[in-house]
Amino acid sequence: MFSVFAFYQIGFNLEDFQKNLSNRRLITDTLFNPKWDWAIENATLALIETIQIAILASILGCFIALPLSFYASKATNQTTITYYIYKSFLNFIRTIPDLFWAMLFTVAVGLGPFAGVLALIMFSMAIMGKLLSETIDSIDLGPLEAAKASGANQNQAVFTSALPQILPNFTAYFLYIFELCIRASVILGLVGAGGVGRIIETQRIFLRFDRISPIIVFILIAVIGIEQFSVWLRRKIL
Amino acid sequence: MNTPKQPINQKLLKYTITIMIIIGSVWSASGLQITPDRFLTAPGKIWILVSAMFPLDLSSEAMDRIVPKVAESLFIAWAGTVIGAVFSFPVSFIAANNVSQNSLSRVTKQILNIIRAFPELILAFVLLPVTGLGPLTGTLAVGIHSIGTLGKLSSEVIEGIDEGPLESIKSSGGSKINELFFGVVPQVMPTITSYWLYRFEINLRASAVLGVVGAGGVGAELINQLRFRDFPRAGTVLVVTIMMVLIVDTISAAIRRRIIKGRLIKV
Repeated sequence: MFSVFAFYQIGFNLEDFQKNLSNRRLITDTLFNPKWDWAIENATLALIETIQIAILASILGCFIALPLSFYASKATNQTTITYYIYKSFLNFIRTIPDLFWAMLFTVAVGLGPFAGVLALIMFSMAIMGKLLSETIDSIDLGPLEAAKASGANQNQAVFTSALPQILPNFTAYFLYIFELCIRASVILGLVGAGGVGRIIETQRIFLRFDRISPIIVFILIAVIGIEQFSVWLRRKIL
Repeated sequence: MNTPKQPINQKLLKYTITIMIIIGSVWSASGLQITPDRFLTAPGKIWILVSAMFPLDLSSEAMDRIVPKVAESLFIAWAGTVIGAVFSFPVSFIAANNVSQNSLSRVTKQILNIIRAFPELILAFVLLPVTGLGPLTGTLAVGIHSIGTLGKLSSEVIEGIDEGPLESIKSSGGSKINELFFGVVPQVMPTITSYWLYRFEINLRASAVLGVVGAGGVGAELINQLRFRDFPRAGTVLVVTIMMVLIVDTISAAIRRRIIKGRLIKV
């Protein structure tokens, strides 16, 4: 395996890297000369849009995934055929990278944040579906049986005895996915799916790295801040 | 006097969370001008797009263009993972607070955090002027990001090791280096290797999208076909990518399971 890598590296790693290093000036000179006021003026709204996309998509995606993952787990779905259908559906969604979803949705529903929301819904649904259905696989089957023995049907049994068991995990995964969505939504704009990425993309085309670098700093601050918040919330809830 | 901590009021907590979720989604939806009927009409529009993709464009000309691109994504992901693995391995020893100095470990962890905060795509276009359009940029972007994530994961593994073997090596006269090589590495290797493979799976998806900014891989192909409204060919790109990802995921998952099981048997 290592040899495959080596062969590949030799094939592409030409020595013009050294030569191109002088091109670095082009980018570093501007990158370390941030134009703060321009960024504050133009990027704040887009940054808020980015966060809104992430909030909406992670909430919707996770709550859509909640019932799906019960169907995609052997513990709560005895019908083999539907189990495999749901399982492979979730696997299928998971194989398509988030930006591919965004591209597809921008074509399907038009440019703008709505496409980004749909893409991230798919993204969070896939991750939540996988994590949660694996958690459901390992729940304690006792309460489920007890509920059924006292006359509950399948749905009632799942709702009253399987759901409470996985709710803490669901909350933890939800916060984790929210973080992932924040990170992912930053780059959605590169393909025209709304958010701060759109501004980055336009400025990048004009090689205005002096305008990009403050935006990147803002993103960093926002991402780290939200991460700290969600770590705090997780500790509080669980 | 120490008073025991009051548990938070469960009911209150429940309501607060519900309200937070509702407010969050309403605020976001209104800010983005998304109305429920847009969600209702979306599936129809998506269906139009999907039906435009079939039948797929399986002509040999299309395959000749697409398959090398997909392979390139695979190579980028693999090379990026190797870069990440090679560099993150020593760094993770420095970052783990039980084998290195306390202050050193804290600084290294912060550096890793900062590296991790940059998405691959942002890294890719910062690198573009230096390394040029092509797979090298993608490889470096993926590699640098992997250093951050793998460094964090591996250092956490190292922090969780059993200290016994270290002590026995020390008491039989081994140096610090001996401790690391014979005490730490054998303990952490299986878990870290499985993290490398796991990272490879993630990098595969990341490298597929890197083409969007021109950093090599299949992303450029997809976005071009979609822009030229050549939907059958875009469909082919998608299907080939999905198949590649599925195959790689299956193989890598099998290897990971084998590694973890191997460790269980040995212990």
